[in-house]
Amino acid sequence: MSTQATETEAIKRSVTVDCSVEHAFETFTERIHEWWPLAKYSIDAGESGSAPQTVIFQGEAGGQVFERTKNGEDLKWADVIAYEPPHRFVLSWNPSREQDRPRTEVEVTFSDEGGKTLVELEHRGWERLGERAGEAREGYASGWESVLKGYAEKASS
Amino acid sequence: MAYRDAIDALGDRTRRAIFEQLRSGPRAVGEIADELPVSRPAVSQHLRVLKEAGLVTERRNGTRRIYRLDPDGLGELRDYFDEFWSEAFAAFKAMAEDERRNG
Repeated sequence: MSTQATETEAIKRSVTVDCSVEHAFETFTERIHEWWPLAKYSIDAGESGSAPQTVIFQGEAGGQVFERTKNGEDLKWADVIAYEPPHRFVLSWNPSREQDRPRTEVEVTFSDEGGKTLVELEHRGWERLGERAGEAREGYASGWESVLKGYAEKASS
Repeated sequence: MAYRDAIDALGDRTRRAIFEQLRSGPRAVGEIADELPVSRPAVSQHLRVLKEAGLVTERRNGTRRIYRLDPDGLGELRDYFDEFWSEAFAAFKAMAEDERRNG
């Protein structure tokens, strides 16, 4: 059983990529459509069972990250609240058709490490979802309902 | 793992719709059924699956059963997304390094 602390603790991930900081940043942002597993992790995949056309990361503060479905509909995943190429960006995260939900925050930083690039991600703000205790974390978890469905189909096939 | 049960439980369209409804607060079976094109017994069955998956809890209020989301079950889902980022990172790393090799 999860404790309260675990539930609200930030998710952290890091990876060292064998390329320049600039290239790593561009790949993560402008070229997100080339690597994000859309067939598995997208709203369209959840609703229709197959991948959307693409995902677009608008590289500026105030921009958005959104997927374009097969029907040409744009569905928002996040608002870009900080965009500082090639070192950092921050997203206000809620990949869902329901946009009036509590949001979590995703920060990704890129730093040089002897010619390679250390990429660090922090997904935080779970306590915001937990403030309404009985309905805790629903905003995020359910925002990914489609992601889960896509995953479930893959996992069970 | 409980999160797998949760993921499997949410693999069904109707159960996702029920889960969505409960995000806005606790509800009785009848209230849930009113907004869905399925019968009340079917809703009860889906609620049972969600409950077994740790996603919802029920309590009695007189003769009514009130359902709400279970924060512990949702904690398991958060754990699941921990894995999700690992996978996304692996795909990202492969792409970033592949491009470099390709010049």
